[in-house]
Amino acid sequence: MLRLNQVVKHFAQPDGDVTVLSGASFHLPAGRSAALLGESGSGKSTLLHLVAGLDTPDAGELVIDGHSSLSMSAGDWNRLRRDRLSLIFQQYHLVPTLTVLDNLQLQARLSQRLDPAFRDHLIDRLGLADLTRRLPHQLSGGQQQRVAIARALLHRPALVLADEPTGNLDEATSERVMGVLVELVRETGSSLLMVTHSAHMASFLDEQWRLQHGQLHQQHDQYNGEPAL
Amino acid sequence: MTGTLTRLLRVLITLLSHHRRHPLQTLFLLTGLVTGVALWSAVQVINAHARASYAEADQVLGAQASHWVRSGSGEGVSVDDYVNLRRQGWRSVFPILEQRLTTADQSVINLIATDLLALPDEEAGTATGLPAGGWMQLVTPPHEAWYPETLAQQLGLEDGDRLTLNSGKALPPARVFSREQQGLRVFMDIGAALTLLDRSHLSYLVVAELPGDAAARLSRDLAALNPDLRLVANQQRLDLTELTQSLHTQLAAMSLLSFAVGLFIVFNAVRFSLSARRHTLTTLRELGVSQRLLLGAIALETLVMSIIGTLGGLGLGYGLSQLLLPSVAATLQNLYGAVLDYTLLVQPVTVLQAWLLTSAGLVLALAWPLWRQAQRSLQDQRDEPSQWQQDQRARRRLALGSLVLALLALGLYFQLNSIAMGFTVLALILFAGAGLLPWTVALILRGLQRALPASAWRLNWACGEGLAQLGTLRTALMALLLALTANFGVDSLVDSFRTSLSDWLQQRLAADLFVQSDTLDIDALLANPGDWLVESHRRNGLTVRWENRPTQIRGLNTDTSDTRALPLAAETDRSSAWFDGDPDVVLANEQARYLAGIELGETVQIPVGQQTVAFEVVGFYHDYGNPAYQFYLPYQRVAELWPNAGEQGLGLWLNDHDDALARAEAALVAAGARPGDWTRREDVLAISLRVFDRTFAMTAAINALTFTVAGIALLASLLAIHQQRLPSYAHWRSMGVSNREWLLIAGLPLGIGLLVTWLLSIPLGTLLAGLLIYDLNVLSFGWTMPLIWQFEPARSLFWLTLLVAGFTFAISAVQARLKLPQALKHLGEDAA
Ligand SMILES: Nc1ncnc2c1ncn2[C@@H]1O[C@H](COP(=O)(O)OP(=O)(O)OP(=O)(O)O)[C@@H](O)[C@H]1O
Ligand SMILES: [Mg+2]
Repeated sequence: MLRLNQVVKHFAQPDGDVTVLSGASFHLPAGRSAALLGESGSGKSTLLHLVAGLDTPDAGELVIDGHSSLSMSAGDWNRLRRDRLSLIFQQYHLVPTLTVLDNLQLQARLSQRLDPAFRDHLIDRLGLADLTRRLPHQLSGGQQQRVAIARALLHRPALVLADEPTGNLDEATSERVMGVLVELVRETGSSLLMVTHSAHMASFLDEQWRLQHGQLHQQHDQYNGEPAL
Repeated sequence: MTGTLTRLLRVLITLLSHHRRHPLQTLFLLTGLVTGVALWSAVQVINAHARASYAEADQVLGAQASHWVRSGSGEGVSVDDYVNLRRQGWRSVFPILEQRLTTADQSVINLIATDLLALPDEEAGTATGLPAGGWMQLVTPPHEAWYPETLAQQLGLEDGDRLTLNSGKALPPARVFSREQQGLRVFMDIGAALTLLDRSHLSYLVVAELPGDAAARLSRDLAALNPDLRLVANQQRLDLTELTQSLHTQLAAMSLLSFAVGLFIVFNAVRFSLSARRHTLTTLRELGVSQRLLLGAIALETLVMSIIGTLGGLGLGYGLSQLLLPSVAATLQNLYGAVLDYTLLVQPVTVLQAWLLTSAGLVLALAWPLWRQAQRSLQDQRDEPSQWQQDQRARRRLALGSLVLALLALGLYFQLNSIAMGFTVLALILFAGAGLLPWTVALILRGLQRALPASAWRLNWACGEGLAQLGTLRTALMALLLALTANFGVDSLVDSFRTSLSDWLQQRLAADLFVQSDTLDIDALLANPGDWLVESHRRNGLTVRWENRPTQIRGLNTDTSDTRALPLAAETDRSSAWFDGDPDVVLANEQARYLAGIELGETVQIPVGQQTVAFEVVGFYHDYGNPAYQFYLPYQRVAELWPNAGEQGLGLWLNDHDDALARAEAALVAAGARPGDWTRREDVLAISLRVFDRTFAMTAAINALTFTVAGIALLASLLAIHQQRLPSYAHWRSMGVSNREWLLIAGLPLGIGLLVTWLLSIPLGTLLAGLLIYDLNVLSFGWTMPLIWQFEPARSLFWLTLLVAGFTFAISAVQARLKLPQALKHLGEDAA
């Protein structure tokens, strides 16, 4: 599903070049979920951006859903994001003037993969049934993030990329949102790559990876993880 | 003390660092200020200049004259005749010589000369701006030539220099004055001028005051002295300040409108920057900066901005006024015969006013929102309603405020009795309309959202995006509405005026040839005309003073076809008596009706010599653009009451033979007319309309400038919108929104907003035109005309708006596209 081969990324900074990724390699099979851990500034978000085609690597190759980063145009990336990927951030990025229903259907409509039955199922599973006619500002943070999750899953993406999706929420809410996200991703059959600071959150997922000194290392962690294939 | 000062400075520097980080916002803020102040000050400078010119015109030699003595043949008044008149005791008569001269290097200058010794001391003093006696050098050899400063600069002259003419002769040594006292003319003593130019004739004589029956006596004396001399009443002796008041009020009103539009830009720029500065303000407060200190720093920042804005605005305004002045001068000249020279003065009071205006605007648009932000910044930010809700609330408040303004306008309208009040009503309506706009746009967007089927989700999204953009777009749309309304209203006014005037001219200028000649013997021409002539219309007239204003008496042939067809604005059932030549009834122009307040059927007393003669007013006619009152009487009646009334032109209808024109011209020459004394109908019409267009050139110029300012406001807010919405755009991009979809969703709201704005500007502009035509025009000029509504100005404004919007949208869209990759990389971060 997702493969990174010797990916290199530098940033030019006033105090000299910073190498964020120095030949990172990684493999995530279809249908599996991985947590990406690492210290602040280690390059987690950068890596996620590279995977989503929002930024380009300086060297190395990424293969997403069978597409190689070496042969993709901006348009290809755009279509790939629309049809096969979805992104979830700490900010919910809901359109403030559209109803909850319109918001959560947005990407599915863009990719013309709106399945009403699945939509109703998602709404039900995320506990949004009574909220569909509301506007985003009439929701709590956790509710808004659940709308964002529904939006990210409705078109049945092959790969969900999440960057600290619960960073803005309190612990209890975070846990509930995480739980339902992981479950739904499994149900949908998508893969999930999620950046998080919290080892506890990471423990919800199949694999745990750590980004350190520009390299990715899988952690055979102390919670419940089994090594990846 | 110094501690506080240091702290204040530190806070100020922290506040100002915002401008270094966001130069574009600052640029727009200053652009708004500078353009607003510029337009306002340009008009201010022009108005002050005009006032100075009028005051000066009142003093310039001869302008205060009640009468002139001119020669019928056009060869001037001989010095001998002048000396004889003075000998006969006519002490209030003095000589004027006016001449255009070409200098050795081919510049053209105007020379005016008089006999300062003939003027009463006091008048000589005010006329020349010199203390009494200061003119001794002028009248004694080697004499002096006095130059106004600007003219001296143009010619490169300094005190003592002698200007050489192309004839090889030299003017007396120059003396340069720092004030304007003779227009742009060179002033000399008459004796010196006559010798220098080798002339024996004066241009004309000026008669200062003719009390009692002096006019009649002078007339007799002139006839005895030289039959060629005529006493002509000074028709230019208008109270220019009073007459042109309304025009200047209109100019001032238009300039204030521009200033308001400029303020919208400032407001826009500030609103946009507020969110960015909130963090700074919060931090400062958290660091323990007191409210007082913060307020002081905000006040200082406002002061700095106001000084930059004022100076920049005045500089630009001065340049603008120089561009506008020729058209203003044309307007004044054409409407009132007032002559303006082209040199401008910036007065300290203008600078002060500009600064006060700017500061007031800045307090409203910059300091107040900043201060509110500073106060609010320590409250729990989480309690703050979302930006979108704030916008919604602001829209509602604006709409409610508009309603209040509209009611106020309505209330005032029913008590309308002055021009200033009229403009207040106009302003209230304009701002009420502007305030209602965001609410209307929101209403339409929400209505569309509701009405659209689920399949049109992109349009639905675009409408939603429109609601999100509206908070920032709103001020620009309001500014645009003001500009569009003013443009449409004024265009409708001018078009109506032009159509009415042209119809009126067509009717009035019915004859084929118009003759105005000093030398033509009309009696001889008409005694035995030949068959080329179908009909003739002879007019005579003079100017008298009535109701403290110059008032024209016109004698008409009442039975000619053009007079018969004269449309009356109002009449009594006795009006037919006038057309039958009844000597006791009179027709008056609308100016006499609305400004002097006479009514149908009323008896007016018109001064004839020492007495007055009573006439019954039986009708009013349209008399577009005439600043004077006017009465129509039968030709014979005028000739009988005022024997010295002059011929006011002759209209000739020709038969339709090919050679009619040639034969008419031959007959005219035979009867003493000189080529150039007659004009063909088409030419008169064309000239009149050209004069009209020149008169309204200024209006068009100011309109165009207001529109430009609105365009800048639009650009500023589109850039702001795209800056603010960039994180959202980035997120859309991350969902795979294509370029075309983005253009639709981000651009359609602008299209809808503009469409609503344009649509709203049509009824508002019509209302504006209606008020201008039916109320303000009557109050200012004293005549009426029908409002002729046309779609054409609205159509061209639509295209213009589309052009400006397309252009600004393209710029801002390219900006957004350029910043998008960066924004994409920061997607996960907190939007600052
Ligand atoms: N656009 C950019 N330009 C220059 N340097 C950048 C840019 N984006 C990130 N960096 C640098 O790259 C490094 C990695 O940043 P990144 O945002 O990927 O870290 P992160 O692991 O997501 O950190 P955090 O946990 O704090 O979110 C940092 O040192 C950062 O300063
Ligand atoms: Mg990060």
